[in-house]
Amino acid sequence: MKTAVFWGCRILTSQYAYEMSVREVMPKLGVELADLPEALCCGDPVKSVNDFAATYLSARVMALAHALDAGQLLVPCNRCHFTISEAKRSIEGDKKVSEKVSGMLAEEKLEYNPNMRLWHVIDFLHGFVGLEKVKKAVKPWKGLRLASHVGCQIIRYSDLGRVDNAENPTKLDELIGAVGAETVDYAEKLDCCGAHLLLSHVDTAFSLAGAKLRSLRELGVDGLVVSCPDCGLMYDFKQKDAAATVGVKLEIPVVYYTQLLGLALGIDQEKLGLHLNQSPVDRLLMKISV
Amino acid sequence: MSLVDLMSMAKPNLKSRAKVFSKLKGRDLVNCFQCIKCTSGCTALKLLELKPHEVEKLANLGFVDELVASDILWTCVTCLKCIQRCPQKASPYHVIMALRNLAVEREVKIPEAFMKAVSQVLETGMAEAYQKIAKGTETFDRESLKLPRIGSPREGFQALFLKALEEK
Repeated sequence: MKTAVFWGCRILTSQYAYEMSVREVMPKLGVELADLPEALCCGDPVKSVNDFAATYLSARVMALAHALDAGQLLVPCNRCHFTISEAKRSIEGDKKVSEKVSGMLAEEKLEYNPNMRLWHVIDFLHGFVGLEKVKKAVKPWKGLRLASHVGCQIIRYSDLGRVDNAENPTKLDELIGAVGAETVDYAEKLDCCGAHLLLSHVDTAFSLAGAKLRSLRELGVDGLVVSCPDCGLMYDFKQKDAAATVGVKLEIPVVYYTQLLGLALGIDQEKLGLHLNQSPVDRLLMKISV
Repeated sequence: MSLVDLMSMAKPNLKSRAKVFSKLKGRDLVNCFQCIKCTSGCTALKLLELKPHEVEKLANLGFVDELVASDILWTCVTCLKCIQRCPQKASPYHVIMALRNLAVEREVKIPEAFMKAVSQVLETGMAEAYQKIAKGTETFDRESLKLPRIGSPREGFQALFLKALEEK
């Protein structure tokens, strides 16, 4: 089955390391990804302004994937994954919405396919590629102690059908375990990075990110592993702002899971975009190369 | 103005209430029995004093016009914990989103970034602009990183998106 990939805005415009590492890792695990021909917003920021317009954007994303003859769509961004999932439910559960959306798509000769399977990187690697296959493909390390941050919108809310358990997500931890690293359990594991508040309350957004990183500092982990471009933006790109807002010195290496996996698959650091991370990833890399 | 100040002179508006109720995606606000699970787990409560259970109660009572005019709506982080934990499927998140949509419809002043995102989508298809990433003395962009060029939406998208934005 052909797999299309929809990156969303944040990955295509700034979180290049996530994009590069996904593009490098997937072929090594036997998956070829087909890019959509157009860059498009999933509708997430539009949702607050006009819910129908957001639903239309998500439907258009799925229709573009269908036009490529893809049967499944990989969405590496948590917010995009949630927005598209909710749109899918609106379209399939509400005849009025479905008729309106189909009519608008038809004007561009596009078509909505209800059978399009949505994946996020985490459940795609864990379920579709398979944890065992990942384990077999990598050269695991020893002695690495990491924290995982799965983010909000791929695990909540459960009756929408999400990627992992809402209150006790384990898939990302298991995937980290597959590359030979130990993960710690911590009280703030499910706390939000605050990225959405960059739109309205910037300092509060940084306080939320900073509070979580401060707790991680006390745990003394070797790094934080994320799988969402918003979380990557907050914890990696904006770590200094977060530190300044909560008033502590933070030096926590933050990497995308696909970067970590790429290293364990023997892919060059530069190809995984590790030179783009703004947090001190060198510390983590030194520990890995020892 | 705080919600309490607004409330002191407020009257319920059942028409606005019905409008919000019609947009809850199958969730039913009348089921809310004020257990406060939403507020006790609310990410925004910690720092911005958003109390989702109050939003629920006020909307239920029909004080929708007051809620729509309040900036408290824009403090939700959309972490979705409230929906997950609501035992009544009454869903503060969807109430807040419906109220935000209503605020825009009524041309209430909302945080600029939201409208900016919408106009960016209209212009380029994307809510954000391409950035150059600086690291040390070097800067990187899609081209220098050899990432593929991805096209803009075809002609006709703009008109369709505008049409979608007119849906109430």
